[in-house]
Amino acid sequence: MPRQDREERAVQEVQDRTRAFLDPAVIARLGTLELKAKTIVEGLLSGLHRSPFKGFSVEFAEYRQYIRGDDLSTIDWKVFARSDRYYIKKFEEETNLNCHVLIDVSGSMAYRSRELSKFEYAACLAASLGYLMTRQRDGVGLMAFDDRIVSAVPASTRPGHLKNLLVALTQLQPGSRTDVAKPFRQVAEALTRRGMIIVISDLLDDPEAVVRGLKLFHHRGSDVLVFHVLDPDEIDFPFDRATRFEDFETAEEVMAVPDLVRAHYQKAIGDLIERYRRELGGAGIDYQLLNTKQPIETALLAYLYTRARAS
Amino acid sequence: MSFLSPLFLIGALAAAVPIVLHLLKREPEPRVKFAAVALLRHAPVERTSTRRLRQIVLLALRVAALVLLAIAFAQPFVPLAATASRRATVIALDTSFSLSAPGRFARAQRLAREAVAQAPATDDVGVVTFADRAELVTPPSADRGLAIAAIDAAAPGFGGTRYLAAVNVAGRALGTRAGTIVVVTDLQEGGWDAGDHASVPAAAHVEVRDVGALPENLAVVGLRSERDREVVTIRNDSPRTRAVAVRLSVDGRPAGERSVSVDAHASADAVFGGITGSEAVAVIDDREGLQADNSRYALLNRSSRVAVLAVTATGDLDRDAFYVHQALATGDAGGGSLEVAGIAGGQLGGWPNERVSAYSAVLLLSTRGLDRRGRDVLASYAASGGGLLIAAGPDVDGDVAADVAGAGIKLHLVAPEERRNSDSQSLAPGDVRHPIFQPFGPATGSFGLVRFTRTARLSASGCQTLAQFTSGEAAVIDCGIGDGRLIVIASDLNNRWNDFPLHATFLPFLHETVRYLSNAHVKSGEYLVGEVPSGVTPAPGIVTIPATATARPRRAAINVDPAESEPARLSVDEFGSAIARLKEAGVAEARNVEQRRESSQHFWQYALAAMMVALAVEGVVARRTI
Repeated sequence: MPRQDREERAVQEVQDRTRAFLDPAVIARLGTLELKAKTIVEGLLSGLHRSPFKGFSVEFAEYRQYIRGDDLSTIDWKVFARSDRYYIKKFEEETNLNCHVLIDVSGSMAYRSRELSKFEYAACLAASLGYLMTRQRDGVGLMAFDDRIVSAVPASTRPGHLKNLLVALTQLQPGSRTDVAKPFRQVAEALTRRGMIIVISDLLDDPEAVVRGLKLFHHRGSDVLVFHVLDPDEIDFPFDRATRFEDFETAEEVMAVPDLVRAHYQKAIGDLIERYRRELGGAGIDYQLLNTKQPIETALLAYLYTRARAS
Repeated sequence: MSFLSPLFLIGALAAAVPIVLHLLKREPEPRVKFAAVALLRHAPVERTSTRRLRQIVLLALRVAALVLLAIAFAQPFVPLAATASRRATVIALDTSFSLSAPGRFARAQRLAREAVAQAPATDDVGVVTFADRAELVTPPSADRGLAIAAIDAAAPGFGGTRYLAAVNVAGRALGTRAGTIVVVTDLQEGGWDAGDHASVPAAAHVEVRDVGALPENLAVVGLRSERDREVVTIRNDSPRTRAVAVRLSVDGRPAGERSVSVDAHASADAVFGGITGSEAVAVIDDREGLQADNSRYALLNRSSRVAVLAVTATGDLDRDAFYVHQALATGDAGGGSLEVAGIAGGQLGGWPNERVSAYSAVLLLSTRGLDRRGRDVLASYAASGGGLLIAAGPDVDGDVAADVAGAGIKLHLVAPEERRNSDSQSLAPGDVRHPIFQPFGPATGSFGLVRFTRTARLSASGCQTLAQFTSGEAAVIDCGIGDGRLIVIASDLNNRWNDFPLHATFLPFLHETVRYLSNAHVKSGEYLVGEVPSGVTPAPGIVTIPATATARPRRAAINVDPAESEPARLSVDEFGSAIARLKEAGVAEARNVEQRRESSQHFWQYALAAMMVALAVEGVVARRTI
């Protein structure tokens, strides 16, 4: 079974075992970005106490008898030698993993059909990731890009770094055109050590340039996780009246009768998603499609999987 | 294209509404900022040019729907070609047989051709021929050759002159446009009937081209049977006494020849005795006068026997209809002896129609046992020329009598309540000129001596009331049923509801009634040329009338109308004054023509259907646009 499918099944299993995740509409009503991140992460982690995800960290916590489904790599063979029983080690250990969150602030991210725009959803996800990483003592940095790097916060594990991260996120506004080639190349050139790259974007750019840029990170030895954030409207195309569609970034206008173009559009977006899934998966890059009506915790679980593999 | 109600076209101004809305709402489509517009580029999106075209189509459809609605209400129609703006001249050429004298019709054709030649060059010219009926032979057109050809092809027939039909058809041919109606005729006085109401357009001018007075003429105006002889009546319309040989043929064989001398402007009879046969024709030789009236046809009915059938409850006349039987067995009716037969109502259904038709009159005195078949036999008998009497006595059911009379008459008989003697009524003839009462002369007052203790309430549509009771209710009515007659008496004839049979007036009343009904039976075999039933050629002769749903085939004599031979004439001024009086109806007639034209075309329905289609298409296009 492919690795990605396995992870998706595991995420689904977690969702089944833990409480229901917070609806993004609820998250949208929370005050600050910090509060949103804290609520999401703490809620997720409290659920994870009863889940097989415990142990992604590297700080030893306790031994536990092996049960079916546990990762065989976590079995402590020394203890097995001594006791002839299978025990697995549970860790909560510091790491030197540096993670860079790349958030797309191009104009297209401003689209919203629900409480959270794609950008707000992405910012909330980035904040939650920052909160989670900080809590796990991973180094976390932030870069915002459209057709260039708009803002950058270097990765750090210092106390108070999360605050800087959240302030930077709060100051971001979506606006310009997307062109990932240049900023991705700049980021890739700036990477000095292996780490983890998390890209949060709607990827509405030239797919070839996007894949090429992401492969750059991978070639540099970094684990790459891509969150492809789309609004439900961009997937379902639910419009019913003849409408003049105006592009966020180029101001290009297209008159369309939804009934006539829906099938074509849905095929086009489906092909795009499938292309990213296929080409990124083939390049060893984790790809996660996020719909802004999905709970953000889903993305965090995907991160945790990638993080576990990285460690 | 014209409109019957053009004011509704003002409603087409509503078409400005979608135009204004279109101009005010230049960009009605919602605008949505969308991130994945790039993915729509290759979809079948609507290009600007296509969208503009759609909007123009939409606007056109909406405007068209409103305009079509206004047009539908305005009731459009395509007028007759003759109602175009060009003036027209319509030649109405008389083809009645009064023009059949040598040289007369040639003169009429010459006058008609002159009228064509004298018509203004800008006029269209049409031709109408007329006698009893009028026919538009050539509608008004610029091709005068057609009109000349129509005039040359016309020939005098056997019909009488009827100006009403001629003027109406010529007026309709003109329509609403200005023009002239030229009537080429010999101005026969009988051409206008009292009460005729012709219509010509208000802008029509009527001219008369007089063919001239009738020449000296001898006409056979009558051929009738009197007991054992045949009488031929000759009329001399000339200022001198003339002798003429009258030849009679019966069943195709010569039956005799008589010479008679007829005084100036008088009539004389030629009498033929000892004639046997049934189909006779009397002929004279009058080469200078009208040709069509030189012969006359008749079905001979010399039988001295007048057979009467009385339908009673049992068929026993002495028991059921004693007084009727005794009255009819005494004396004669119309010169022949009366033979009365009785039949029970229940037996009549078994009789074939031919057996009943042998009777000159049928008296329905009881409807007891008269089944459906029996009612149909009586109805068929009356419709085919028989004479039927219904005496609404105690044995006559109103519903059965109504069935016999047929749906066309709507006979309504209601059985009476019992009356005390103090409430008895008498009968008063209302039309003393009617053949039943005419022989009584001043003695009609004698009917007032008859006491009616009970009377049925009687009503029917299209019937003449001959006598009334003192209460004002109808006592005797006379109705036409097909070719026959129906007399209904609102009481009985057997001394039960009245004492009529005990009075001296009873016997002559019954005889005159039977004679009147018998004449109907005989006369059903005579027609004038202008009155022949459908399917029969309108020409003099003895022909077979085809069978109908209610009547069997029968022989009939067809003759020209003797009134057409009468020399009395209208002056041109009299004719003109009649036309002038009719002119005022021209606008109304034109309006009627337009209404008939519109109702025959029903273009408003097409306009409404087109509007519905436009709205449906608009709905589809609008859904795909905005």
